Amino acid sequence: MEPLIPEKAKISPFLVFFLVHTMQFGIGILGFQRLIALTAGYDAWISVIIAGLSIHVILWMMYRILDTVNGDIMSANSYVFGKKVGRLITLPYVLYFLCVALTTLRTFIEVVQVWMFQDMSTFWYAFAFCVLAIYIIFGGFRIVTGIAFFGVVLPSYLIFTFFFTFPYADLRNLLPVFDHSIKDLVKAAYQMSLTYLGYEVLLFFYPFIKDPQKSKKWAHFGVFFTTILYTAITIITFSYFSEGQLQKNIWATLTIWKVVEMPFVERFEYIGIANWNIVILPNLCIALWCGSRILKRAVHLKQKYGVLLLTTIVLITINFFKTREQINTLISYTGKISFFLNYVYIPLLFILVLIVKKVKK
Amino acid sequence: MKILISLLILSTILAGCIQKEIVDDVNLETGAAYDYTDGKIRGTALVPVYLSDKTVENKTFSSSSNLSRDFLRDVQRQSSDPLVSGSLKVVLFGERLAKEKGILDLIDSFQRDPSIGARLYLAVTEGDSKAVINGSYGERGNAIYLSNLIRHNMNSKDVPKTDLQRFLFDFNQKGKTPYLPRIKKLNKKAVEISGLSFFRYGHVVDTIPPDKMFYFKLLVDKYSKGTLKVNLGKDAAAIESIRSNYKMNLVSRKPLKVNIRIKVKAILNEYSGIRVTPKKIKMIEKKLEEEIEVECLKLTKRFQSKNIDPVGFGHFIKSKTRKFNYSKWEADYRYLKMNVQADVTITESGVID
Repeated sequence: MEPLIPEKAKISPFLVFFLVHTMQFGIGILGFQRLIALTAGYDAWISVIIAGLSIHVILWMMYRILDTVNGDIMSANSYVFGKKVGRLITLPYVLYFLCVALTTLRTFIEVVQVWMFQDMSTFWYAFAFCVLAIYIIFGGFRIVTGIAFFGVVLPSYLIFTFFFTFPYADLRNLLPVFDHSIKDLVKAAYQMSLTYLGYEVLLFFYPFIKDPQKSKKWAHFGVFFTTILYTAITIITFSYFSEGQLQKNIWATLTIWKVVEMPFVERFEYIGIANWNIVILPNLCIALWCGSRILKRAVHLKQKYGVLLLTTIVLITINFFKTREQINTLISYTGKISFFLNYVYIPLLFILVLIVKKVKK
Repeated sequence: MKILISLLILSTILAGCIQKEIVDDVNLETGAAYDYTDGKIRGTALVPVYLSDKTVENKTFSSSSNLSRDFLRDVQRQSSDPLVSGSLKVVLFGERLAKEKGILDLIDSFQRDPSIGARLYLAVTEGDSKAVINGSYGERGNAIYLSNLIRHNMNSKDVPKTDLQRFLFDFNQKGKTPYLPRIKKLNKKAVEISGLSFFRYGHVVDTIPPDKMFYFKLLVDKYSKGTLKVNLGKDAAAIESIRSNYKMNLVSRKPLKVNIRIKVKAILNEYSGIRVTPKKIKMIEKKLEEEIEVECLKLTKRFQSKNIDPVGFGHFIKSKTRKFNYSKWEADYRYLKMNVQADVTITESGVID
């Protein structure tokens, strides 16, 4: 029934932590603060926590679904809807991962273009990046996981750079707490969904985990770690910027780096953004891997060709996004799709799987 | 695999086809000065030229234009290498510009430019800023001299801390107004910090002399270091503050009343009397407390009458009030009652007593 994954292609359960965390932690972190502060003011850090906690519920549902069918999302869809319809329903995920890959890559290139090299070509940079991603994905899922591991560990030192804001911080900015209505807080939590997206990759690599039961705590821990990081960065940002000032900055996190000054480097953004390549790389790889994996499972396209097909589409479409406005539209659509998939489709599937399980018994 | 590797090499090479900026081939703008003359903004860019005998020549380029950073484009026509603003350290605004035209447009361009750091020092000059930047101070170039001058005075002396980030923070904070140090040119080779200017909507509306600066610093900076002098009858004492802290308290809402508690930990630097006894120290402390209370209160009253709020009373009351109404606050500010309570502790009196 399920294609068996050879034991040597599987990964240790604890690596799920890195896969989930690195996928969540990508491009959104560079400038999410402004959006949530617009709706919920400086109470928005509460929304960050709310959104983070809600993910644990979704994650729990995902594990229940995957445990029941003992396969990936495609198995779950087939389990509920039958083989043919199941395949058909899984296919839109290819589009979703295309969007994710495109958003990640285009937004990052935009950052490089605005902050470092105004005249850098979008296509050629994307091309170089995609070739690297293809190379990694050709190595198999274990290599992708390895990149995810390095994508978390290597840039982790960047956390310390945020300490430079402490002399400037005014925590009174956050007071009074709960100055906004619950409605505003929930709305801001909804806006956080793009920033938090990524944990759904679990639905696709689940069969690749050696002992899936043991990976549960690591997946939850990965999400928890992301929540903590986001909350910390939100609070640091809110205490560093006054509210009017934050609204002017598109990439608040990068603007924070403007204050970092070390004897050997005057502008830290350059190092930070260059390092961000390592953060972005696993995101792109995992997204493309997931997309091509679905293609393999649903239409039996060899994963090699699937990856090449998807990167070609990304490389063609990336040229259509030229201005800040277009990129922003892309980002908000990706966010909306991800919200729908995670908070509407997954609970629905969860209920359906439970029902079908009862019926089949 | 071969194709892949060649693609990888090709893409790396092709992606590298972008504008290079090599330190030796650009003119680094380290300082800038803006003046308002004949209805236009005159910008002056300061570029250090490193000579072979290890001295630095201060070269300046000037041009007038309506848009602030636009002057750079005109200046490019005078410069042999492209001017880049990545290491801008200090920006001076002429007195007339700061009073009449306002500095908001200029600040906008500093905020927008990704290459400009947040620790950029801003200052207002007495008279023309071009004259100040055209002097010749120190051996490492004017920009470094000026920025070091401002930095050390802010970190360990009486000038309240402010730079681009703090200025923007205060400016965009509702219920707070920004301030900048003033710089005065003494002669061709010397400058000094000659006070503090307070802004409202980008215009200078008030200025305090240097001897009041430390009292203001006590109101806005935590851990402020600085020096104070007191007269005790015929004797005089100088003390140095090691650290200070202020705490605001909202005493009552109707009428609005704020209590500020300032704690200063200090050491005695100089005493003109014969011997420092614990009793004398108590006296000095008492006298200092009185002085801080009187001077700080005077300052806050002065800000109130000028309708500026550099201490941030508005922001403080906002942080204590739900659904704070700023437009109402603007009318209420005039009636705000303040009380200053100082607590000075002199811990040491040097190596002799």
